[in-house]
Amino acid sequence: MTENRPTERNERSDRGDDRRERGGNRGRRFVSRPKFCQFCSDKKLVIDYKNVELLSRFVNETGKIRPRRQTGTCAKHQREVAKAIKNARHIALLPFEGDLWADSN
Amino acid sequence: MQKYELIVIFQADLDEAALDAAVENIETLIKSNHGVIEKIDRWGKRKLAYLIRKTNEGYYVLVNFEYDPEEVANLRRALGFNEHILRHSIVRVD
Repeated sequence: MTENRPTERNERSDRGDDRRERGGNRGRRFVSRPKFCQFCSDKKLVIDYKNVELLSRFVNETGKIRPRRQTGTCAKHQREVAKAIKNARHIALLPFEGDLWADSN
Repeated sequence: MQKYELIVIFQADLDEAALDAAVENIETLIKSNHGVIEKIDRWGKRKLAYLIRKTNEGYYVLVNFEYDPEEVANLRRALGFNEHILRHSIVRVD
């Protein structure tokens, strides 16, 4: 009886560690993001559908527009970015799907 | 009159003379409707992000101009008739 108690406690603490670890993993899935809007803090940075270098930062590897929670962009500028990306896609500066130049040649 | 920005993607396999003629054609098209051309910028050959008409390259030309908003639809239609143009886009500049 007296021998059992510590082992029980150990098991319980092990389980606790497991749970904490799992929780940690769950937390790690979120990428830390800048907590400010790039376009609000830098007025010189203009959202232009011709600026591929800038817009490609707001698109993930599959060509999708990245959400605000990842890029930190404010609602107003996210709308502008989305519009610009769509314009850029139409004139083949950005892909509708897939990585840029991934399947070239 | 309103400011616009036109991007035209020509076929990349056109030769220099044909390109010059095509750009000039667009110029006269805009001017014939009392449009005012501010700037013509030839980006040159560029790889397309995806295939258009089975080609992966195009010749980009950017034209800044002023135009009557009511006539833009006609301009779009006229550009659509040109078979050397892979893609075009007219965007209003604020």
